Amino acid sequence: MSLNATARKPLVTPAAPARAPRPRLTPLPKTAARRKPKLAYALTALGGALAIGAAQIGLSLAITQDSYTLASLSSQQRTLDLQTSALQEELTGLSSPQALATSASALGMVVAGAPSYLRLSDGAVFGTGTGAGWASTVDPNGAGAVSNSLLVPPASADANDGPVADDAATQTEQLPPAITDGLPSPETH
Amino acid sequence: MTTRATRSPRRRTVVALAVILSILGVFIVRLVDIQVVSADEHVAQSLVYLGDKTTISGQRGSIVDADGTVLAESVTVYDWNMDPKAMNAVETDEDNPPKLPWAEASTKIAEIMGLNADELRAGVAAAREENPDTQWYQLAKGLNAKQYTDLKALKLPYLHADSRETRVYPNGAVAGSVIGFLDGSGTAQAGIEKMETQCLAPTNGEETYRKGTNGVVIPGSEQKTDAVDGGSVQLTINSDLNWYLQQMIAEEAQAQGAQGGTVTVVEVKTGKIRAAAEWPTVDPNNLNGSSPSSWYSKLFTYAFEPGSTFKPVTAAAIMENAGVTPTSPTVSASSKEHFPNGAVINDAFAHPTYNYTLAGALIDSSNVALSKFGTMVSPDVRYDYLQRFGVGTKTVGFPSETSGELHPTSEWDNQSLYTTTFGQHFTVTAPQVAGAYQAIANGGEKIDLSLIESCTDADGTVHKAADPEKKQIIKPETAAELTRMLENVAVQGGNAERIKVPGYRVTSKTGTAQIPDGNGGYKSGVYYTSMVGFAPVDDPQYVVIVTLDQPTRITSSAATASAFQKAMTQVMKTYRVMPSTVPMDALLPKFE
Repeated sequence: MSLNATARKPLVTPAAPARAPRPRLTPLPKTAARRKPKLAYALTALGGALAIGAAQIGLSLAITQDSYTLASLSSQQRTLDLQTSALQEELTGLSSPQALATSASALGMVVAGAPSYLRLSDGAVFGTGTGAGWASTVDPNGAGAVSNSLLVPPASADANDGPVADDAATQTEQLPPAITDGLPSPETH
Repeated sequence: MTTRATRSPRRRTVVALAVILSILGVFIVRLVDIQVVSADEHVAQSLVYLGDKTTISGQRGSIVDADGTVLAESVTVYDWNMDPKAMNAVETDEDNPPKLPWAEASTKIAEIMGLNADELRAGVAAAREENPDTQWYQLAKGLNAKQYTDLKALKLPYLHADSRETRVYPNGAVAGSVIGFLDGSGTAQAGIEKMETQCLAPTNGEETYRKGTNGVVIPGSEQKTDAVDGGSVQLTINSDLNWYLQQMIAEEAQAQGAQGGTVTVVEVKTGKIRAAAEWPTVDPNNLNGSSPSSWYSKLFTYAFEPGSTFKPVTAAAIMENAGVTPTSPTVSASSKEHFPNGAVINDAFAHPTYNYTLAGALIDSSNVALSKFGTMVSPDVRYDYLQRFGVGTKTVGFPSETSGELHPTSEWDNQSLYTTTFGQHFTVTAPQVAGAYQAIANGGEKIDLSLIESCTDADGTVHKAADPEKKQIIKPETAAELTRMLENVAVQGGNAERIKVPGYRVTSKTGTAQIPDGNGGYKSGVYYTSMVGFAPVDDPQYVVIVTLDQPTRITSSAATASAFQKAMTQVMKTYRVMPSTVPMDALLPKFE
């Protein structure tokens, strides 16, 4: 150990650089007096934290509120969907050609034969040139009626459907007898 | 330095370290194996216990007509049941008596469901008597959305509804047998429903999730794939016209004492089938309302020997290959003739020997004259023409559609050598006949028939049906002369007065087919009669074919005259076809 210590003794180099060694350490100028911590910073930081907290609470409240609104809207949507389908179901069948033809025939309308056309430019008439006859080419209430089971219980299903069926019945009674059988003729004895 | 004393503990350390490291190594290997190598397998295993999924069913698409009128749609209906035990609990809860006691509630339920209130109460009481713990009692099935809303409004905790999809056909039997129907499980059984399953069927979605103890869904583990509803199929059919024709053919068929009848309308310029009416038919809403034999469309599946309606095809062959014109040459024909090869051909009515022109042979529908005209060309030429006009080729690919039967010429015997000139010894469906006349009406250009306009996906993408194949099968001049002759048939033929459509020039040709009796022979005295034609002659727009199955009041094809007249009138009216403005050419001579 002693040998080693001797060996590491720093050697003074005779050929030292000419430049004057600069002092490594310099005294500090007067140290700044420690400033008193500003209250404003603390308040800002605290305020910021509180603001973040408040924002978070606000946001989560808003999200919660939204999810309630969403739930209520989707329930409303469901109700409206149900109403839509209920209304559509009421129309189903009523929109069919059978229903239209039956109602029209109850009003005394006929499915006519060949049509006529009027040309506006010169007033020429094409086609038969006569009006519709008394006889219908088909009888929507007859043996050939195209069935539609959606229309089967028109009177009993709902009270609101009543008038239509009633009208149909009374109309038929008021009309000339058996409109499909041609022009009514007076009975002579 | 490494003395014996120090070596021993170090070795022990090394050994211990090695043991620990090797154990650690084993663990690491196992860990890698579990977490990396066979991770998927283990995840899959765990999902058996943890994962679950529910299917989200999509809705089947609608079928609409050419104007968008809904012919078939899926709607949700509700099957209602109740929990009698829960009802009893609510009823006997003295601290919190029910707002709506059962006696009153049952009356309201019955009213909404259309049941008898007394029977309902008795039924529930009986169910409870049988098993006091029963929690299920079926109330009613297939209730609609209004009833659902009304029942929910009662706020009864013991009522439950299961929703399911069902098919509704708003127009009932209008085009019923063409549209088809589904079976109880929602599988298409017939008609367009079956033919267009690919477009109509929905793609089910699913929701997968993991669940913890007691089946609680682990939040955030849900994965949802939405269902894709089926597409909507648009047909070329006009449902209003179809309704009229169904109504009309039903009346006519019954008036003629026939077993059935059909009307098919084809648009000349496009080959689109605008109406496919049949009687008897089916209301797909109520299959049990009609006999099972009428559940399936016969239009595309019933092939018959067309008879005289195919004489114009023979005429086309000889005009283009033997230089025959409507007026020359003529053939001499009596009402029954024995041919050199032993065949015997009869005409439908007795007449003296006439020198028939081709026009006259068609007007009088003389089988004998046609046999003589027809054999002016080889059987192979006639076979070719039959094929060109669509015999033996399916039309629209309808489920179970038949292509009819066209025997090769090698199988034609002495008799059928002649009978094939007037529509026997081969079979066709009514749409095939309409297709043949479409070609004549359209200047010789045959356009394949179509029944489907398009398929519209749930997202609104429209897939148009492929363009039909078009083919010039005869020269335009031949088609024009055939049209002229067919107009002469309508004007000079036996049904002339009965098939007049005021204002319009029409063509027509009757056909009377014998019906196989199933024992190799033909039924006697009854026929499958038909009448086909198009109008207006000056600019052909629509082909109409009417068939009657075994009319008994008038057994000949004259039975179809009134139905044909009404059908053609209605078609012209429906499509606002302008009445003919060009007068008819001079009448063609029948004889020389």
